[in-house]
Amino acid sequence: MATLTPTLTLTSTDVTSDELNFSVTDSLTVTGDTVSLSRVALSTSDLTLFASSSYSRSYVYLKNLDNSIAMDIDFGTTASFNLAAGEFAFFPWHGSQNILAVADSGTPLLEYALWEA
Amino acid sequence: MATTTATVSITSSDLTPGSPLSVSASTTLMQAGLTTGLTQMETGVIDLAVSTEFRIGPLATQVSGSAHDIGSYLYLCNKSTDGTYWIDWGIHESVIGLLYAGDWMFIPWNASDDDAAIEIQANTGTNSIEWAFFNSNFVLPTDAG
Repeated sequence: MATLTPTLTLTSTDVTSDELNFSVTDSLTVTGDTVSLSRVALSTSDLTLFASSSYSRSYVYLKNLDNSIAMDIDFGTTASFNLAAGEFAFFPWHGSQNILAVADSGTPLLEYALWEA
Repeated sequence: MATTTATVSITSSDLTPGSPLSVSASTTLMQAGLTTGLTQMETGVIDLAVSTEFRIGPLATQVSGSAHDIGSYLYLCNKSTDGTYWIDWGIHESVIGLLYAGDWMFIPWNASDDDAAIEIQANTGTNSIEWAFFNSNFVLPTDAG
């Protein structure tokens, strides 16, 4: 059993008249499998990044390392979000559907990690 | 245009013996496909009663222009202090994950259509949910009714 500490900081001096300077942290207990920080070159074909059959409730980190090409992150066949160049995501995943990744074009690099709760 | 920066750091001293984890990533929240920052921010706190659903951010039909081109970002934090409290979050009717008391998440989100709405639902107790939504071109409804 290990402890994972994720921290998010949001800052802006001009998004409103009230300066945004915000930070939140958490202490997560990792009891199951870990997929250490890894990188993969995507293509325009779906890649199953995390199979629901392999993981239960987990925390997922994703970062698009490309500087121009976006990628889609799909949850099964009905839900997705788009990870634009340079963007990251950190979210809890239920493990009830596969997480797939596909490039909008080319072969952008995706950095990823998973920690099972 | 506003410049808003999001930074995540993930650390662990005991995940892998002898090899502490330290990950950091930062991104400036940009309009999709552009190098100009997002202009709009909504924030709030809601008390979400058990079995109650709540939609975060606008529907695609409330966003002007081509919905596919609207870059948005979502922050959610379950501020509940009871460790048995949790909500699920999903895109439309697909549950993606569970956000327990104290947990937070940050994702980009593109309002491709109304079925891409981000929804949360409390499953135990009344959860206090802090949220922030960053985007551009969100058109406030003209008819509150």
